[in-house]
Amino acid sequence: MFRKIKKRLRLGNQQDNIDTIYTGIDEPLPRNIERVKERLNEIFSECSDYIQREIVCGEDGCIRILVSYIEGLVDRSILNQDVVRPILDYFSSVEAQDKAKRVYQLIKERVISNNEVEEVQSMQQVVYKIVSGDAVLFVDGSKSALVVGVKAPQGRQVEEPDTEVSIRGPREGFVENLATNMVLIRKRIKTPNLKFEMMQLGIQTKTDICICYIKGIANEEIVKEVRKRVKKIRGDAILDTGYIEQYITDNRLTLFPIVGNSEKCDKLVAKLLEGRVAILCDGTPYVITVPHLFIESIQTSDDYYDHAFFASFMRVLRFLALLISNLLPAMYVALVSFHHTVIPFKLIITLAASRQGIPFSPFVEALLMLAAFELLREAGVRMPRTIGQALSIVGAIVLGEASVRAGIASNLMVIIIAITAICSFVVPPLIRATMLLRFVFLIAANFLGFLGISFVAVAVIIHLCRLRSFGIPYMAPFSPLTATDLKDSIIMVPIWAMITRPKILFQEDTRGTVGIKRREVNKIGEG
Amino acid sequence: MRVKKLAIVLMLPVLLTGCWDNVDLADINIVTALGIDKAEDGKIIVTVQVIEPAALQSPSSGLGGGGSAQPKPVFVESYKGETISDALISMKSIVDKRLFLSTTQVLILGERFCKDGINEALDFLHRDYQSEYLTDVLVAKDVTPEQILKVQPDMEAIPAMYIKGTIENTAIRAKVKRTMLINLFKDIENKCRQVTIGQITKENEKTVKTEGTAVFKDGKLVGWLDQYQTRGYLFATDKVKSTVINIPVTNGKMSIEVSNSSGKIDVEFKNGEPARLSVQVRLEGIIGEYTGKKPLNSPDDIYKLEKILSQEVKKEIVMALNKAQKDYSSDIFGFGTVVHKYYPHYWKKVMDEWNDVFSKLPADIKVEAKIMRAGLIKSPMMKDE
Repeated sequence: MFRKIKKRLRLGNQQDNIDTIYTGIDEPLPRNIERVKERLNEIFSECSDYIQREIVCGEDGCIRILVSYIEGLVDRSILNQDVVRPILDYFSSVEAQDKAKRVYQLIKERVISNNEVEEVQSMQQVVYKIVSGDAVLFVDGSKSALVVGVKAPQGRQVEEPDTEVSIRGPREGFVENLATNMVLIRKRIKTPNLKFEMMQLGIQTKTDICICYIKGIANEEIVKEVRKRVKKIRGDAILDTGYIEQYITDNRLTLFPIVGNSEKCDKLVAKLLEGRVAILCDGTPYVITVPHLFIESIQTSDDYYDHAFFASFMRVLRFLALLISNLLPAMYVALVSFHHTVIPFKLIITLAASRQGIPFSPFVEALLMLAAFELLREAGVRMPRTIGQALSIVGAIVLGEASVRAGIASNLMVIIIAITAICSFVVPPLIRATMLLRFVFLIAANFLGFLGISFVAVAVIIHLCRLRSFGIPYMAPFSPLTATDLKDSIIMVPIWAMITRPKILFQEDTRGTVGIKRREVNKIGEG
Repeated sequence: MRVKKLAIVLMLPVLLTGCWDNVDLADINIVTALGIDKAEDGKIIVTVQVIEPAALQSPSSGLGGGGSAQPKPVFVESYKGETISDALISMKSIVDKRLFLSTTQVLILGERFCKDGINEALDFLHRDYQSEYLTDVLVAKDVTPEQILKVQPDMEAIPAMYIKGTIENTAIRAKVKRTMLINLFKDIENKCRQVTIGQITKENEKTVKTEGTAVFKDGKLVGWLDQYQTRGYLFATDKVKSTVINIPVTNGKMSIEVSNSSGKIDVEFKNGEPARLSVQVRLEGIIGEYTGKKPLNSPDDIYKLEKILSQEVKKEIVMALNKAQKDYSSDIFGFGTVVHKYYPHYWKKVMDEWNDVFSKLPADIKVEAKIMRAGLIKSPMMKDE
């Protein structure tokens, strides 16, 4: 079904392409500068930010130079300082007439005082360079053009990311600029083995994508696979690594994150050093890492900066929180509607007392409260931050209290939902998966009690154990059990005792499901 | 395709379930105590004590502000039927919700019912999936279970919890035999040991008293042990954890707090026939209170006290044994288990008449008491003037 939709979408894209004016078919640059001007104006018609400047110098204006760039993308003072002024100075002072033929060569080698000079021959490349923020110089009579890198610094400063706050550790986060991000990584890993492989994705956006890994540490097979899958991506735009994530994932129908993402430099570097492969994308601070395993969801970078005792304790807590946020409402419903016999006597009185006079069944009550919670959460996220806070206070206090007073919800249910909500925020990578699973568990509990919960739990565990992230079993090191890698699982050993790199990333998959999966992915990729 | 298959497999168990039992907690009557008695016409009277959770809720979170009239936390209903289950099911015609028995804290059996045999009650309770095995069982002496369950204690909102509390208390003092439902299930068909159940009496409208023991023979009530006989019985069967024993001393009284005790029973055989019963009890205690005049200066004083203490305990054991042998002819001590264990061939012969054999055997009773400490002071507070 998904494949069909995909196909149709892809057809649509192709039809759009026919309508666009600039097809990007390669054409050589005309020697005559007037023709160049004409052609560029044609291509950049109605682009008000496109700037052309013609410099005429030498005696009787025999030297004609055209500078093209996009306003704003180019640092104009650098352009003037590095390109325009040197040209004007050089050619006004020198007897230029006899040099007219060598103007292009002179400009390239002597005049321009910028380090980043490149030669291009085709119109397609010229257009690409202009739109990506370089200035292009055309000299009358020359069949190639000069590209000068005078990009203006773009985007915001490096700052601490809001999404991943750490108590201890580096506060630098990635920014939208790819070059800056690459610097941030290179700064931390000073070895030529750190590789950045660039490529462009997106038919319209031509976004720079960078595959990043450490040669010798990363599994070559995985790097190859990443390269292959990324190359298969077709689409108009790559606006965020989220686009890439959805294309390259092993299983497109799972709730669980099998591609990791992070905004924090130190975290990403740690992942690279473990042998993972990162994909950076221009225009977004989120960097994705593969393979991403289940255990990574309950690891935080803080764990490694503090003593392993606390880290282990926190990981046990996080794991418990994960279970609670999935199961608690379902357990409650199962207890009060099916399994009265297992409730201790004093608790059953409390439970029964809180249920008195509630018009809804526990299931409907839980469903309503959970839906209200999810709505509040979503509203809080979408609102501007200051209003969002007020909203959550209104929601939490007023709604909870009022619904109990009005006799719509029981005290205990409000407590249950509150605990569930708190626990769900403890493991951020799995928030979305637990949000949906919670409802599935709840429905199962309403039909079959604990029996239903265990059915769903078994199904979820089977699914988790079947999942692969770039061929690596998702539940590793638990399933398959890799004893040495348990050192960094729920119980963590101190950093000085972690003497081996994770072996899981080098595992041969014995069950051969990866082969099948990859073939499927390829098929989808080819459309 | 695989997803579909998985879905089908997951759906299948839904068809297999037998107990379709989604009942809200608000739709059940939570039974805290159950009473079973027999009417004069031989019909069974079942009494239930059911709590009203709303009345137990703390007033601060009460619904709708609460009226002036505080609703009663429990109600007690009785119903007559041919059998226990018949009475319980028929009772639904007078109560509003399904009766939920798993929360039963105490089961009170009527005297008349016990005299005819408790097997009927045990059959029902063992068969029913809802019964709670850790329910405390008591026999009501001189009153009906209904009267006991209608007691309205000041100390606790739920009478059943109050009764349970008193049993726990007296069991610690070794004045009542604590029997749970599961003990009954185990012992009722056991010929080596006869069943005993704690006794409950009504003091007044607000309090009950759990002291003494009901003695059964072959599942039928045959008589009672008073609190001292009960303690003797418990000493012999190694069930005493702590208790207070008063012993006479010259010019005053003394209370010994027993802190440790172990009891052992045995049967001595001669020529393949049982010759004597023997009971050995060791106990340790400390002086809890002393109002005599003589100071406790030398170890000899303590030895003397130990002798008196042993005598006292022995007296209680003899009383209990005499009652069991002479009056009731019921081996509540479990001498039968010893015979069964060590003389199985003889046991097979005598199994059915064991109680008669038991009641004719002479007994050796040995008590070794030790006083470990005199407390913080040696001499009594009021010495000779």
